[in-house]
Amino acid sequence: MAKPHDPQRLELLQGTLDMLILRTLQWGPQHGHGIGQAIRARSDELLKVETGSLYPALHRLVKQGWLKAEWGISEANQRARYYRLTPAGKAQLSREQNRWSQLVDAIGRVMNPSPASEE
Amino acid sequence: MGGSMRPDEDELDEEIRGHLALEMKARLERGEDPDAARLAAIKEFGNLTLTRDAIRGVWRHRWWDSAEALARDIKLAFRTLRRAKGLAATVVVTLALGIGANAAIFSVVRGVLLRPLVNRDEDRVIYIRQTAPGLGAENMTFSVPEINDFKTRANSVTAFGDFSTVDFTFIGLGLEPRTVKAGVVGGSFFEVMGLRPVLGRLLNAQDDGPNAPGAAVLTHRFWTTALEGDSTVIGQTIRLGPRTATVVGVLEPSVPYPADTEIIANVVTSPHHLGATMVTSRVHRMTELFARLAPGATLDTARAELSALHTAIVREHPEAYLQRADVQLRVTKLRDQIASPARTMLLVLLGAAAIVFVIACSNVANLILARSVRREGELAVRAALGAGSGALRRTLLAESLVLCGAGAVLGVVLARPAVTVVARYASRFSVRALDVTVDPSVLWVGAGLALIAAVLLAYVPRLPSSNAPAGLGLTNGSVRITPSTNRRLRMFATAQIAFSFVLLAGAGMLLAALAALQAANTGVNMRQVIAFDIPTSVSGLGDPSAINFYQEATRRVSELPGVEGVAVGNFVPWRDAGSYGVGFQFTVEGYTPANGEENPLGRMRMVAPRFFAVLGVPLIAGRDFTDADRRGGEQVVIVSQSVAQRLFPNGDAVNRHLTWTDPVFLIYGKPTPSRIVGVVADVDDENVVPGPAMTIYQPVWQLGVAGRLFVHAAGDPYALVPAVTRVIRNLSADQPVERAATLQDVRAAVMSPDRVNAFVMSGFAGIALLIAVVGVAGVLAFSVSARTGEFGVRLAVGASRAHVLAGVLSEGVWIASMGIGAGAASGYALAIVATRFFSNVQLPGVLPLTGAAAVLVTAGVIASLIPAARASRVDVLQALRYE
Repeated sequence: MAKPHDPQRLELLQGTLDMLILRTLQWGPQHGHGIGQAIRARSDELLKVETGSLYPALHRLVKQGWLKAEWGISEANQRARYYRLTPAGKAQLSREQNRWSQLVDAIGRVMNPSPASEE
Repeated sequence: MGGSMRPDEDELDEEIRGHLALEMKARLERGEDPDAARLAAIKEFGNLTLTRDAIRGVWRHRWWDSAEALARDIKLAFRTLRRAKGLAATVVVTLALGIGANAAIFSVVRGVLLRPLVNRDEDRVIYIRQTAPGLGAENMTFSVPEINDFKTRANSVTAFGDFSTVDFTFIGLGLEPRTVKAGVVGGSFFEVMGLRPVLGRLLNAQDDGPNAPGAAVLTHRFWTTALEGDSTVIGQTIRLGPRTATVVGVLEPSVPYPADTEIIANVVTSPHHLGATMVTSRVHRMTELFARLAPGATLDTARAELSALHTAIVREHPEAYLQRADVQLRVTKLRDQIASPARTMLLVLLGAAAIVFVIACSNVANLILARSVRREGELAVRAALGAGSGALRRTLLAESLVLCGAGAVLGVVLARPAVTVVARYASRFSVRALDVTVDPSVLWVGAGLALIAAVLLAYVPRLPSSNAPAGLGLTNGSVRITPSTNRRLRMFATAQIAFSFVLLAGAGMLLAALAALQAANTGVNMRQVIAFDIPTSVSGLGDPSAINFYQEATRRVSELPGVEGVAVGNFVPWRDAGSYGVGFQFTVEGYTPANGEENPLGRMRMVAPRFFAVLGVPLIAGRDFTDADRRGGEQVVIVSQSVAQRLFPNGDAVNRHLTWTDPVFLIYGKPTPSRIVGVVADVDDENVVPGPAMTIYQPVWQLGVAGRLFVHAAGDPYALVPAVTRVIRNLSADQPVERAATLQDVRAAVMSPDRVNAFVMSGFAGIALLIAVVGVAGVLAFSVSARTGEFGVRLAVGASRAHVLAGVLSEGVWIASMGIGAGAASGYALAIVATRFFSNVQLPGVLPLTGAAAVLVTAGVIASLIPAARASRVDVLQALRYE
């Protein structure tokens, strides 16, 4: 639910969080906080991932075998769980990316019909 | 793999702590105040508990979620059912009856048929039995020469154990003088049986033979009850008849088999066992035989070897085996042998209990189905609000789980006392039932049955189907009854009637048999004649001191006031049945058996003069015995009418001669003929269902074997018991006077298993009938309430109220008739199947069948009376408005 006091922020589309996490981890292993920050930064602060959704999603992806979790030392000098993409996760990412671009394409055609496809 | 990745609680917390630290660090770097940064970080994280729960939820199994949902539904079900108390109570009680009956019977079945014995390696102990199907003798036991043949030749068993039962007059250990049933065993018996002592030692090979000192082992029951577990009894000397024995030990609690004795003694304590008859006569059979399988041998190999041996033995001694007796050897495991008399009875009970369970379930299904039809509106609303069919089923399952769970709890509570009752009943057939206690298996059976019932019941109601929009159900909450629901309701009601019919017909059959037994004419005075057991230790046939004792006892008892007649004999009708085997061979002068036929068998009874007058048996020809028929006089006999008619078709039995030819008597030398002096009416004292009786009576004053006293009382026979006991104790201080009972009560005691059978089956049938009546009434009540509008219309267009009433009544009768038809058909089919597994399956006669049918039709009418009355009283205007 978009918070009323923050009209700029966008609500994540259902099912896209997994894809965003996988995409973020393509740059290398990261802990939960870092993943949240990265998504926020790359979306120019438009997407903010609630920790209440982020961590369950991370654990779900681990359970599905798309991520691997291991303990490391964070820049705050504390132990943190770092998540890393597995080969299966990479494959899943490319599948989701394909589906996403198809979806964007399809929705785009509906919203902005080009003269050629309208007949 | 997923499992190993799963973080534990600490790791979860650490991850969250790490996140908070990073967030704080980021905020500090942005220049925030440390306290504010910490607060902001925590605030931003949101609800910690919820997040942690969500993460845990990721790792949980899917069934956990369903279980959680089911728990929610169960909570809801409690609330829903509290609003339908009447229905809930009916369902719970019905299920409790079904579950309780099954749980109780199953415990007994488990205890009697399935539980292993305490005997060491109990499945290596076998029981060997000689049967004579040709004479209808299930167990003719063994003689010592027969056992010796087996001992010397058999290889498939390590050892044989022998056991015979003897009545001793027991004096000692501070107890009243009395007759005890004792086992007399060889030294290998306890080793073969694999039993241990709880105190002292058991009998072993050193106790064998005629020169060992007398030794006796007390059974656990006798020791704990009569002697209150007194451990000082070990080493004490007891008197057993003419001999003495030292108590050497107490046996562990075990199934008393083959006989429930109080003591078990070695051979030397019984003069009879040392006598020539016992040791040398091949036909003097009184010993039961056990054996322990040799290593490597199985029941089958032992059976094959022993049967082959037996065939050889029979061939070697043709004189000892009547040809038409068709003597055969049976070898079974001890456990099966002990359980076998109770098996059929318990399986029948289990079947009856299962039928009650099915009836109870179908009745509950009916109630639930009717309720769910009323609830179709509610279910439709739920479906419309997004509940999937799984969720709806779960709601129904939760409700039926609550109902069945409550039913199971109540059922197990009911089962506890029922186990005791059923066990006491079953103990008439198998001693093992005495040890049956309520065990956790009752709980498991109850829970299992409840679960089965719950799942079945949850799938009974039809869900609002997605392709038939439940518009009607949504808009008004009225009851819509569809033809398919109606059919299902009727089907369940019909099934209940059908099963009830099977049970009622079965119970009716037993009751009819019982009534026939009770009404049967036994040919003796049942009410006024009282019988006593007055056993003496007789040293041999015609013991003069014994004859004197009984003559004096007869004289003194007959002088008591209120005594109309006294006579001694050796056989209390029915109570002593079987104690002299199937009879002895005899022949009469002028009678030649047809070619290949063997001599007839006759029952031998010893009676004193006036015995027939005391018992009220009419003398048909000749004379009674007199006091002159005594030792040294002419040998005389009296025969029953059947003997006279069969062997003297011309009616000239009196004064002809009769000779016992049975090989049993060869030991006494060449048999001498006796003159027939009288003919009396038949008295079948072996069977409670009277048949022809080939009986030969000998004068007891000539032979001296008596032991039973019959007194014909003028008034209440039991009022004479103290006086008779006193008179006899005056004659002989240590003399047991026992088991006083009128012949009526003796016969009733023998028949009591039949009576209890009939009683238990009637109980089951009664429960079934009650449930079925509730079921039929419920179905009709439901159908009437659903058709209020229809009845209103009918009455409005001129149908008479009587017509409407008759319509509903006939529906009830129709359900009952369909049920009876179905029950008769399935019962007949069941009996056909049963004949394949059991040899003596009986079908009920016409009377029980028509009786059961009449009861059910009446029940159908009664069940439909209230709904019918309600239908005929429908208020026309209201009914039409309602529609």
